[in-house]
Amino acid sequence: MNTRRFILKAAPAVERHAGRIPDPVKRLRYLRCEMALLQRRAGAARPARYLNWVVIVAAFAVVPGPIPTGTAETFARERELVIPIPDSSSVVPPAAPRVWRVETSNSFELYSNGLRVDLTFAVHNRPRARYPIFPLGGVVAAKYGTAPVGIVYHTTESQLPPFQEDKTRVLKRLGRNLLEMIRREGSYHYLIDRFGRVFRIVDESDAANHAGSSVWADAGGIYVNLNDSFLGVAVEGQTGAVGEVTPAQISAAKVLTEMLRSRYHIAAEDCITHAQVSVNPLNMRIGAHVDWAGKFPFAEVGLPDNYAIPLPSLYAFGFDHDATFLEVTGGRWKGLNLAEERVERQAAAQGLSGVRFKAILRRRYKDIAAALKQQAAQDAAATSVLDTTAAQPPARGKGEE
Amino acid sequence: MSQESKNPVLGLDVGTSRIVVAERANDDIRYESQLNAFVTLPYSKITEAVLERKKIPHTARMGEIIVHGNESEKFAGLLNAEMRRPMTRGVLDPKEPESLGIVRQMLASMLTGDRNGRKLCYSVPAAPLGAEDSLTYHEATLRQILTDLGYQPTSINEGLAVIYSELESSNYTGIGISCGGGLCNVCLAYLSVPVVSFSIAKAGDYIDASAASVTGERANLIRLAKESSFHFNGAFSDKVHQVISVYYDDMIRSLVSALKDAFARTSHAPAFNRPVPMVLSGGTALPKGFRDRFEKILGEQDFPVKVSEIRLAQNPLCSTAKGALICALSDS
Repeated sequence: MNTRRFILKAAPAVERHAGRIPDPVKRLRYLRCEMALLQRRAGAARPARYLNWVVIVAAFAVVPGPIPTGTAETFARERELVIPIPDSSSVVPPAAPRVWRVETSNSFELYSNGLRVDLTFAVHNRPRARYPIFPLGGVVAAKYGTAPVGIVYHTTESQLPPFQEDKTRVLKRLGRNLLEMIRREGSYHYLIDRFGRVFRIVDESDAANHAGSSVWADAGGIYVNLNDSFLGVAVEGQTGAVGEVTPAQISAAKVLTEMLRSRYHIAAEDCITHAQVSVNPLNMRIGAHVDWAGKFPFAEVGLPDNYAIPLPSLYAFGFDHDATFLEVTGGRWKGLNLAEERVERQAAAQGLSGVRFKAILRRRYKDIAAALKQQAAQDAAATSVLDTTAAQPPARGKGEE
Repeated sequence: MSQESKNPVLGLDVGTSRIVVAERANDDIRYESQLNAFVTLPYSKITEAVLERKKIPHTARMGEIIVHGNESEKFAGLLNAEMRRPMTRGVLDPKEPESLGIVRQMLASMLTGDRNGRKLCYSVPAAPLGAEDSLTYHEATLRQILTDLGYQPTSINEGLAVIYSELESSNYTGIGISCGGGLCNVCLAYLSVPVVSFSIAKAGDYIDASAASVTGERANLIRLAKESSFHFNGAFSDKVHQVISVYYDDMIRSLVSALKDAFARTSHAPAFNRPVPMVLSGGTALPKGFRDRFEKILGEQDFPVKVSEIRLAQNPLCSTAKGALICALSDS
């Protein structure tokens, strides 16, 4: 007989006896003791405070549902907002080829698609934390992830001497200085230098400090602040000089992307640029960072034109853009237009003005950001307590004194 | 609180908007309640002397005086300022630098008398749906503060405390709901054992903040209007009341929906052989007509657990503290 059935069979007798105890405190004491005893009799191995089946039930119960919290609209409206509006412009993403590691040593890894990863500068950073994935329209995480779900492409914005043979020594020196700095800061998982060499910096099991305040979404949900959920790949280059990116770098980006997509089953639409995900919560505008704000060679890297994906920061959280951003992008992305159209359609469907609708979306972002900040503060405090505890010498018994 | 009691144990409800201490006094229970809020004033010797003379709880330090507890509301009104809160959404507010100090001060001022090894049971919220790990710091910090004050603290889930307080007639089987300032806490228990518990972050503060943003009033004033004159029955005399009713409805609908979803997912719940009672408590459940409104909205749903009755707690502001006290007594 399993624990639950045993308890359910025995509980009526306990209840009958409890009903004969007039004093509420004594009755509660009796019930708590008896119910705990029932568990032990049922053969539960774990000395739990509550019953095993209760724990199982609670585990089922806390699976988060689509429950709205913290927004200013009515519940019915919240539920309607959860329904994503299909985007007719969606493209079928190409599948990633299978890539596997064929050789490894202390200093490099070689992969089946020709990718060679230099491990000379590899370091540990903060271990990757479990990250929340939010439903569209909700502020409570629907689920949590632990593996990288995408790639964010960056430029290093570092000094770029002319890519010429007579500048080889300078190019190598600057590249090395850059690698040292990135390693110190734990800035990215990978760096592709100007000769197309791929360096692993932060281990893939760790989070790199690459994305800051950022937002992206896919069919699985919305990701906020992508350091833990996305891998950071930087190309040695500058936003204002993407023409300087070398063919070797593009080729390296292609094979590196193939390897990461193969290893983590990353969808093509989750391979995007920092400019597409970066947001500034202070002024609620996108483009706090503008790396690859335009001209990322998606096709050459083996990806669809992801600039055409509607920006989640706009349609899910009501962020805006400004003229400066458009200046850097060199024109409006298709995804920017699509996101704005989606916001207009949803506002109209709710019978709200665009301004009011955006205010609701923004409030939702602020609720999520505040919750994440609170969680981070609690984690930091807990880590600090643990560090302090670990630093203290163990208490000595009297006999040891 | 004096400790001339027969049973030297205490129940403590540490809520987002109020802290309530419960203590047995002969055959009755005595409560002390303070607003869990504070305001800061510029330091002056005269102000400090007046506060001392009037026995108003306060702390003077580094050029300012912090007035906490019930009096903070009066001072906030005088200064036309928002009260600050050490807690938000049921837990210590990490963005409020004074949170730990204020809670410590308030507990120290409310829990007077002999503390040496005295048993105390304090309430903690259930984890909000989707954030199950977020309570560890809050619970551990309160435990540390209470231990430092000399108590032997144990914690109890807030919804379960409502059940211990109100559902003795059903042998502590039923659903306890505490609608507080920061959270609505829910617990379903079977013969005193919690089966399902969770919280949602829509409660009194949500109503205040949302109504304040629509009307342009301060959240303090909305709260006062809500607590002093708002009721569900009848036409609304002004815009503030009308707006409050909109957000109250929103909160109740969210709560009912969360209840339904959580219980529907509980496929291993005991098969109750009869309908179970449901009790509503907390300051947000106080307005006249709240119970009726809740019952009406619940009735619109196909609720997975049969409910025998929905009633308001005998003393909604104190039921969590009373349940914590009963838990402490049953432990002793």
